[in-house]
Amino acid sequence: MPNDHARPGLSRRSLIAGALGLTAAAGGGVLSACSGSSNAGTTAAGAGGAAPSVTLGPKLATVQYPEGYVGPVARELKPITSEKVTFKIVVPQDVTIGDWKTNAFTKWLEQKTNIHIEWNQVGGTDDDIMTKVNAMIAAGDIPDAFMGVNFTRSQLFLYGQQGLFADVGQYIDGYALNLQQAMKDYPDARKLVQAPDKKIYSFPNINDCYHCRASNGRTFLNTDWIKQVGLAVPKTTDEFVEVLRAFKKADLGGNGRTIPFAGYKDAPFDTFFMNSFLYNPGEPWLVVNDGKVDVTFDKDEWREGLKFIHGMYAEGLINKDVFTADQDQMDRYGNAPGKPIIGGARSYYWGGFLDIDQKDPNARWRKYQAIPPLKGPNGVQYAAWNYLGVGVEVAKLVITKKCAKPELLVQWADAQMELEAILRGYGGPKFEWAKKGELGINGKQAVYGFSATWNTEKNISWSQENTMYRSQDFRLAERVNPADLTFEKPLYQQTVDNYFPYKQPQEMQFPPVTLDQDQAAQEAELKTNLKSEVNLSFSKFVTGQLDPNDDAAWNGYKDRVAKIGVKPYLELQQAAYEIYNG
Amino acid sequence: MSAAGTLPPDERRLGAGAPIQDTRGDKIALACIYTALALFCLAILYPIVYVLSASVSDTHKVSAGQVWLWPVGFTLDAYKAIFDYDAIVSSFGNSVFYAVAGALVATVLTLLAAYPLSRKGLPGKGIIMAAFVFTMMFSGGLIPTYLVVDQLGLLNTRWAMILPTALAVWNVIITRTYFMVTIPEELVEAGKVDGCSDFGFFWRIVLPLSKPIIAVNLLFYAVGQWNSFFNALIYLTNEHLFPLQVVLRQILIQSKVDPSQMPDTSKLAQLKELQQQLKYSLIVIGMIPPLLVYPFVQKHFVKGAMIGSLKG
Repeated sequence: MPNDHARPGLSRRSLIAGALGLTAAAGGGVLSACSGSSNAGTTAAGAGGAAPSVTLGPKLATVQYPEGYVGPVARELKPITSEKVTFKIVVPQDVTIGDWKTNAFTKWLEQKTNIHIEWNQVGGTDDDIMTKVNAMIAAGDIPDAFMGVNFTRSQLFLYGQQGLFADVGQYIDGYALNLQQAMKDYPDARKLVQAPDKKIYSFPNINDCYHCRASNGRTFLNTDWIKQVGLAVPKTTDEFVEVLRAFKKADLGGNGRTIPFAGYKDAPFDTFFMNSFLYNPGEPWLVVNDGKVDVTFDKDEWREGLKFIHGMYAEGLINKDVFTADQDQMDRYGNAPGKPIIGGARSYYWGGFLDIDQKDPNARWRKYQAIPPLKGPNGVQYAAWNYLGVGVEVAKLVITKKCAKPELLVQWADAQMELEAILRGYGGPKFEWAKKGELGINGKQAVYGFSATWNTEKNISWSQENTMYRSQDFRLAERVNPADLTFEKPLYQQTVDNYFPYKQPQEMQFPPVTLDQDQAAQEAELKTNLKSEVNLSFSKFVTGQLDPNDDAAWNGYKDRVAKIGVKPYLELQQAAYEIYNG
Repeated sequence: MSAAGTLPPDERRLGAGAPIQDTRGDKIALACIYTALALFCLAILYPIVYVLSASVSDTHKVSAGQVWLWPVGFTLDAYKAIFDYDAIVSSFGNSVFYAVAGALVATVLTLLAAYPLSRKGLPGKGIIMAAFVFTMMFSGGLIPTYLVVDQLGLLNTRWAMILPTALAVWNVIITRTYFMVTIPEELVEAGKVDGCSDFGFFWRIVLPLSKPIIAVNLLFYAVGQWNSFFNALIYLTNEHLFPLQVVLRQILIQSKVDPSQMPDTSKLAQLKELQQQLKYSLIVIGMIPPLLVYPFVQKHFVKGAMIGSLKG
């Protein structure tokens, strides 16, 4: 990349360089991080030239796989080095992981790979962690790697270009055989993880969560209620309103407490309802039309959607506090004692509006079912399907230039993509290999199962903070215990039936792009301002403070977003999109 | 009433031996004041009572909105659960340690800085004071401070919680004003006449006279330490050194994470359950120590803080 963004770039770079020098001069403990290596000081020494002699261990024979299974395979893990090597890794603190040092998976992995990790835990929220990590980087106090720290693509690119983060791409071919296989299984993976300079600044993670691809548009209705009012699951926007009216009229919650449809501030409405008017993936509302990046929120179809939602709100079919209610308030609606009082909710999963009791076969959450997107007046009916944002992820493991033997860390990460390591990594040691005939979530032969629903024990897993290879087949090959029905199976089935068939073509989705430093700063500002204006106006239009039928109000809104800078915003994204496509 | 009635009007007005009859206006004013204060008190008390009740109630009853004031489905499970998490237990101990040690160190420093600055004879007093005040308005910034802490070898030690930013200039100013007001120059002179050294005077005369301001400083610093998380966040990378606030943030705020950012529903469900289980008991645990300390320090607190503020 050019050096023309000199001012901010240079000053930070020189600060970092200075800081690195300072630390080195002080003879601090940082450089001795890779204690196994004698030449720890020569940070730039890559192992790209050395002839790798890495092979995968033999497959475990006892494990059953369904036919056509694509995903991680159980193999014998071999020690990566004969002599124990230590790396210093920064990780988030998490009460369920507990002390990383004594964690069961830590011990298991060290015993298998012969790689010892000196953990540095950072506490607080994700934002807190990023503050600390930025301070460490700026001060030159850099570990061998960061794990579970959510760098954005733009940050990875920035630090990668500054030479702080190692390009792991050069090691994948020689050292990461499991990852290689995974990238063959997921052909888009390379494109999604590489920076604009074609380098890969973090070890990729694959977690192909099928139902997550539809999460943004998932919406539930109480099927018991639908039966009680003698209607069918609504297929169109008109039928939907009819069902809600019937709920309200019948007052199935009792005492006039019925809320036909509920929403809360953490689950935006537009990602479901707008898709009856135009394809709308939700924030930041970017779509691609014939190769041109566009936004959804200033289109006439959006206005039609606003009228529709406003109509329901004005009729009292939606809870009054839909834009201010938080998760606690939503739970109060959903868990109301006695009879349920909400007829439906916009939520990512049941846990967004009530407590999930997985043991009870008649639990309330089972009455609510995900409904397909509604067909709008013009026949539009999309389920915003997340092809690109779910599945292949970046930044789970970032190796820095401080690390003298990155090829060992790459092998260490690759070992976590082996089937047993994956299971132990996120679920703990209490897994079992499925027996022949036991069925998984997708109804095929299961591969594995857990004795507990989801782990409630502490200190046994890494709680999904590490890199794994969880393909779709792998995730769906979890044994379903007929006595202990979790929400995974219905969530999967309802996604297959109700969202997958209505997905938009993949070309319409705006991909996760990488911006350079200047663009990222500009984009962040525009995005923040647009986001607040669009969200604010959305709530005003719905609640009637602004009338969507009034041309002046609508044009005023369009002027405001245009003034904030829809055009420069789209130009930025268009440029990044073209780089993404090569 | 009858006794008051027998008294001559003049005496009644003077109020000797009988309660003063409030005028109608006074009564109304009083009623208003009491109502306002009662409401104010309620506004503060209700959240505390609610949190206490919720912490000993069945979590499902809480999330169903059945808890309003008193516990529903009494259980101590939430408190038992706390002990399952080593991080919470150890961080509580750490927080107590940081609060006590931090308050002691900071109070000693404050007294040592404030006393000389309160005496007239100190050469360069204006410059020193200006230097102090300068730091109130300008700071070195995050990264330089981090570098200093790193170079001093304090990074990832308990000292990083106690030494950097130990002294609050604000407290120095209050304490200095207190000394200026309560320890007159004549007292110093009298001490000198009797052959008392500066240190002797400070130790034997000033400190015994300064209990209120010492109490105020201890409380300010202890509460400050108890509530702080930023230094811990920036300087500590060992779970066993974390204070409670860092762990609280991770559990209480992190769990409010945007579901669309969370790739995995099972993790989302796990976080939600964790939060529901621990939320209220953690808040209670977090507020108990300051609640316990306040009553004992309060009488000094009012006196000490008032002197500093009124005449400063």
